[in-house]
Amino acid sequence: MIEIKNLHASVDGTEILKGIDLVIEPGTVHAIMGPNGSGKSTLAYVLAGREDYEITDGDILFGGKSILELAPEERAAAGLFLAFQYPVEIPGVQMTTFLKTALNAIRKKRGEEELDAIGFLKLMKSTCDKLGIGEDMMKRPVNVGFSGGEKKRNEALQMAMLAPSFAVLDETDSGLDIDALKVVANGVNAMRAPERSFLVITHYQRLLDYIEPDTVHVLARGKIMKTGGPELAKELEEKGYAEFLSEAA
Amino acid sequence: MTALADILDRIPTRKSERWKFTNLPARLKKLTLEQGTLGWSGNVDILNKTAPGADKYADTALWDLNLQNTKDCRFIDGDAAIDVHAQAGKWYSPYLRVNIKKGQQATVIEKQSGDKSYWKNQVVDIVLEEGAILNHIRFQDEATDGIFTNFTHVTCAKDARYNAFTLTRGDGLSRNQIHVELQGPGADATIYGVNLLFGKQHADTTITVEHQAPNCTSNQFIRSVLAGESRGVFQGKVHVHRIAQKTDGYQLSNALLLSPLAEMDTKPELEIYADDVKCSHGATTGQLDEEPLFYMQSRGIPRPQARMLLIQAFLAELVDKIGDQTVKPEAEQAIEEWLHDHAGA
Ligand SMILES: Nc1ncnc2c1ncn2[C@@H]1O[C@H](COP(=O)(O)OP(=O)(O)O)[C@@H](O)[C@H]1O
Ligand SMILES: [Mg+2]
Repeated sequence: MIEIKNLHASVDGTEILKGIDLVIEPGTVHAIMGPNGSGKSTLAYVLAGREDYEITDGDILFGGKSILELAPEERAAAGLFLAFQYPVEIPGVQMTTFLKTALNAIRKKRGEEELDAIGFLKLMKSTCDKLGIGEDMMKRPVNVGFSGGEKKRNEALQMAMLAPSFAVLDETDSGLDIDALKVVANGVNAMRAPERSFLVITHYQRLLDYIEPDTVHVLARGKIMKTGGPELAKELEEKGYAEFLSEAA
Repeated sequence: MTALADILDRIPTRKSERWKFTNLPARLKKLTLEQGTLGWSGNVDILNKTAPGADKYADTALWDLNLQNTKDCRFIDGDAAIDVHAQAGKWYSPYLRVNIKKGQQATVIEKQSGDKSYWKNQVVDIVLEEGAILNHIRFQDEATDGIFTNFTHVTCAKDARYNAFTLTRGDGLSRNQIHVELQGPGADATIYGVNLLFGKQHADTTITVEHQAPNCTSNQFIRSVLAGESRGVFQGKVHVHRIAQKTDGYQLSNALLLSPLAEMDTKPELEIYADDVKCSHGATTGQLDEEPLFYMQSRGIPRPQARMLLIQAFLAELVDKIGDQTVKPEAEQAIEEWLHDHAGA
């Protein structure tokens, strides 16, 4: 379970998150929708532990414990995963090396046995097959020269391999055509489990046709403005975000 | 036996143009050294008594000093493995003379090391005849108080190829000075170097390539990783003579600073007197990017390991170019060991 309590975060002295409260129960999918610049990616980065942000107030509890003092890699080992809105290119580091290092680092931290080359390749191959990812992509440097769609599939692949208990997907739908969108959505749906939860960040309602959320929140100007069921997403699709953009809202 | 104190006034100071970034006398003055010998058997008397190219490039003081004091020399005309290990408290003037005959190919592997404080002032005098190929590898693993100065001079006849790779992962102070004369058409000089420095180490790579004939190629490519308060120096010069049309000459130095106290000084130079040439030079100095580090950490990779992967990737672009398949794994191994000890934080 993840509990975000009165979370305030700033960058270079500018407050971006202005008091977020959110509880995500195991087994549920929450969606956050909101206009550009409302702080969605900031929330995602803060959850993952990026250093540029200063937490000025509030707390984030994961499994009942505060994670604010944990390094990003410790959060990952604890079961948190962020699918980046803009996946990072790492020239010279091959996908396979990257994934194997990540997976074994996490397994080691959790006290599980590390996978040998054969065990790893088997897992990688079967996961690639499920997500329609060609194995030649695994021989390339991380995200270098990947198309927008390939980058997003790669995020889904990493999520599937690392099997987190809480995954944040930051606009994983942007830049995807409908077929790729379905593949990614199926990947998420296949992972849905009673002990696992998701926070799906999106600008458009489209993704939520394929990943059905339990709860939808509207984030605007650094605050959650409204919370509802899946029907809220459809409402936003029709009306847009205008009503949340003015100070009066 | 000549005491170090007696020759200190003949050592180049920072007043010389090509010694601006390296203060050799200051480091040497701190040491009390006696002249030593490595026990090599070559006949010193038949060595040329003047440094080559002295009239044009006057920075041959260390070569001259070696010649005035040479006790150890070796003559090499084929594959060779040479261990140069200095004992504590000694200074040496080793002289390697390499002559590869027409159409022959050879690999010379030098291992440089030593105990505590010492100074090796080495000369490597290389003559490559027509079509000859020399792969010249050096693993430099000097002690933290060791000083290693080396002057390599190479002449390449028509179609001769000089391929050098140096891995420096330890020294107190080192100066690796290389002067190549491409004398015959079609000759090539490819000079690669990796410098891995920490603490107060100082490594200076100073290269001059003279294109004296048409259709020659040269490539200088140095990558440095600097931790602690270490300092790297790269001075590269490509001199294209008027006759040397169709020259391809490249120089590139990329440095990665792992600490705010580390420093890299670079001075790439082109001196071109022919009109139909392709030459370029570049130098970059940077730090590890935060974005990929955070991305890797978010996948569970601990920060020190993420740093290692990024540094390895930075070096791989150069290491992957090492043609010799026995040297490459050894270099990779040495790099990995160094990174385990110094890449963290
Ligand atoms: N690293 C940063 N430095 C400065 N400003 C930032 C940084 N990250 C985000 N911001 C600002 O914070 C606001 C929210 O950005 P973001 O979280 O990316 O929004 P969203 O993902 O909802 O589009 C924007 O005004 C953006 O310019
Ligand atoms: Mg965003």
